[in-house]
Amino acid sequence: MRQLRLRSPRVGPPRLGIDVLGSLNLVGTLVKYLSVAFLLPLFLAIGVGDPFWPFLVSAIVTLAAGLLMQGLTRGADRVGIREGFLVVALIWLFLPAFGALPYFLDGDGSLSRPLDAYFESVSGFTATGATIITDFDDLSKSFALWRQFTQWIGGMGILVLAIAVLPRLRVGGRYLLHSELAGPTELERVTISIRDVARNLWVLYVALTALAILVLSIIGWTGLDPAMDVYQAVAHAFTSIALGGFSTQAGSLSVFSGATQWAVIAFVALAGINFLRLYQAVLQRRPGIVGRDQEIRLYVILLVIGSVLLFAELVGSGIESGEEAVRHAVFQATSIMTTAGFASADYTRWGSLAALTLLALMFIGASAGSTGGSIKVVRHLLMGKLLRRELEQVVHREAVIPIRLSGSTVDERMLRSVAGFIVIYVVILALGSIGLVIESRRGGIDVQAFEAIGAAAAALGNVGPAFGFAGPLGSYAPFSDVSKGILIALMWLGRLEILPVVVLLTRTYWRA
Amino acid sequence: MKILLIGAGQVGATIAEALYEEHDLTVVDVDSVALSELSFRLDISTVEGNGASRRVLQSAGIARADLVIAGTSRDEINIIASMFGRHLSEARTIVRVANIEYLEAWQERQVDVDFMVSSEVETAYAISSLIGVPAARQTDIFADGLVQIVEFDVPADVSTRGIIGTPFRSAHIPDDSKVAGIIREDRMTVPRGDDTIELGDRIVVIGSPDAAKEWSRIFAADGAAAQVVDDVVLYGAGRAGLAIAQTLLEQGARVRVVEGSYERASFVAESLPDVRVFHARGIDAEFMERERIGRARAAIFAMNNDAKNLYAATLARLHGVDFTIAVADNTGAVRVLEAGGVDVAINPRSVTAEEIVRFAHDPRIRQLAMLEGDRYEVLDITVRGDSEFVGKAFSDLPMSESLIGAIVRDGSAIFPHGDDMLLPGDRAIIFTESERVATVERAL
Repeated sequence: MRQLRLRSPRVGPPRLGIDVLGSLNLVGTLVKYLSVAFLLPLFLAIGVGDPFWPFLVSAIVTLAAGLLMQGLTRGADRVGIREGFLVVALIWLFLPAFGALPYFLDGDGSLSRPLDAYFESVSGFTATGATIITDFDDLSKSFALWRQFTQWIGGMGILVLAIAVLPRLRVGGRYLLHSELAGPTELERVTISIRDVARNLWVLYVALTALAILVLSIIGWTGLDPAMDVYQAVAHAFTSIALGGFSTQAGSLSVFSGATQWAVIAFVALAGINFLRLYQAVLQRRPGIVGRDQEIRLYVILLVIGSVLLFAELVGSGIESGEEAVRHAVFQATSIMTTAGFASADYTRWGSLAALTLLALMFIGASAGSTGGSIKVVRHLLMGKLLRRELEQVVHREAVIPIRLSGSTVDERMLRSVAGFIVIYVVILALGSIGLVIESRRGGIDVQAFEAIGAAAAALGNVGPAFGFAGPLGSYAPFSDVSKGILIALMWLGRLEILPVVVLLTRTYWRA
Repeated sequence: MKILLIGAGQVGATIAEALYEEHDLTVVDVDSVALSELSFRLDISTVEGNGASRRVLQSAGIARADLVIAGTSRDEINIIASMFGRHLSEARTIVRVANIEYLEAWQERQVDVDFMVSSEVETAYAISSLIGVPAARQTDIFADGLVQIVEFDVPADVSTRGIIGTPFRSAHIPDDSKVAGIIREDRMTVPRGDDTIELGDRIVVIGSPDAAKEWSRIFAADGAAAQVVDDVVLYGAGRAGLAIAQTLLEQGARVRVVEGSYERASFVAESLPDVRVFHARGIDAEFMERERIGRARAAIFAMNNDAKNLYAATLARLHGVDFTIAVADNTGAVRVLEAGGVDVAINPRSVTAEEIVRFAHDPRIRQLAMLEGDRYEVLDITVRGDSEFVGKAFSDLPMSESLIGAIVRDGSAIFPHGDDMLLPGDRAIIFTESERVATVERAL
């Protein structure tokens, strides 16, 4: 005889729609692999005689934490499109935390406080380039290289690497790569497998870095720049291709020669192009695609306009002339617009046309699919097309006008999300700058409105240097702890392109 | 001849009507009602089933067929049916398609079919020839748009020097064209070197589409009519509408498209970047006023609804459009539309059916048109390898009341002169007296 069991519907809180444990499991895996990254500064420290134990301890702690996180959870294979948001948001919080370990384990120096260490690490992994460090002479070679290396790891994104290497990310990979790659790219139309895309991106990333190291080393060997050696070449190649902007020197690129500055800015300009396009042009040998790409065209035009404005200021106010004026104008315009954030000179002394131009460039950003931050050229391009269509439809009410990008039609949903992104970007920037002003007033720190907007824009756009004391040769150290917290949040939001974070704050995201 | 016809819709029915008396016709269709209606009217056998099914085709006796005509409205079904036809029988195959891509593939010999016809493309050619050559009385396009035959009335007051009254051997005739016939006092002659064109003649010109436009400019009265129509409004962007828009764009016209379905309008706007697309209805007078539709030189109505076409065309004429063309959805609608004031109405299905019937009669003759009632015909004949004329220069060919106006070789048209030669496999566009058709066919 079988007994019929009546089951009553379970009463309780609404079911969770997100596989949190699976997401944590995946985050744990990635944290675990971060421990490998500490080997680079570890070996350098052993080689040059720096203390190496901070890196060793960091590696062990990171490995243990990752394994623990992975061991306590399961189900990374269940990570889908919705979990993707949570995974990327968590990764960009967790990785900098573990990456900050060496800074504060070291004990002395300007990064000994956990918040400062975390700020520096977030600025590193998000490839921002804002620094707390005031005294670069104290910075040992291995620590300086670790700073540079965090930008390189964060630049192309560790998730892209994971998708390229880890076999089990094949299912959710497309979504993850989508939320990881900067800006709206036409990943939907890429016909090869997502893992191949990720692999190609990393191959290109490594190849570009190697090329940058080679070129910078040659500049050093040939005596074009006495300050450049292999160490500096590696350190600056990392942050150039990642569009990070950290330097081993307090004076950033200004302590290097003109040849180095030209080389660095050339690589920065190259890294600001969509890597999918570079991949098609170089690896698939379709160079024509670069000329036809409307984003690349606008990117070049904007770089030229920015350079010309800076050049006018430099020559007009008699600060520089000749080759130096051209070099500094091109360097600074490119460095700020691509959100790299290197400095060839202290632009805070250049006057208001330069200041406004640079602030405007901070809102442009590099191309989608590059390692840069900010709004991205393609979003401005689409926004412009959207506005032009609005004007046309005022006259021709019934006209159906699809918006095209480099010949193919852009989905209306993508257009909506572009418009939404720009609005939310400005709102967050405004909130951030107001927060900085209020907090600085409370703490008695002199922060002008323009400097607050500059600092918020530099953090949210992952640019790095701003204006005032946070200028290219300065430091963010004078900001209060709350201000640093705001800036950390802005850098994090900027690297994630805001929307994944905002989605996490909605109720519908968590509901089943 | 045993003919297997797939599709009993409007096209299929028209084909069946034309062929059932002389041939043994079997019609296949999924629609049993359409089949039984057709079999009550005509003496045919019918098989109910999917034309793309091998089993159905075999039971319809495809193995014994001499000709397979795939004439449903679905391209893929037609192509699959013709594939089975190729493999299960010795029959020749005719396929009706709507998609221009298939037609292009066939022309490049990538689809193994004897004859392919697209009603949309035929209609588009017919309309673009009407619009492109305004001074013409009648025009026909041959050889996939490469060759055009146009009939002109030479106005009594035209003052063009070098053509009127000048013997042909020294006249300045536009390049890539020939005068195939002169009709004077109700008599037509194929002109020789000493003949001249006189004021008031009617002439038949064979040439490239560009040359046809050039002739049109020569004969058109001064002013507006001399202009080739360059601003066209097209109502309805279905398959036929899309093909018309494409053809007109290729002619260099400015095309505005009005489409009632938003999805379709978006699709057209995406696929034709040079076209301004509106999402509006044909009966919207306020829209017509606002967008200045009345300023267009011609309006084409290709909505799949004859009543709407007639209404919209009438509205457009009220707004000032001079020239209206309608694509009729039903065969009977042609008369209604033209009686209602539409300048020209065309039924794509009957165009297609006529094409297919022509090919069914003689596969070597791809197309033919009648001029001057039925006294003269235009033939499109593929030259046999053993023809007595192969390898001879044109100046050595015997003179008769027939004329080779153009030859199509390797996808381009040649308008032959004295030292050109006829090669096997050439498609010759021939202008001839009706009673000489059989002679010409034998000779080539």
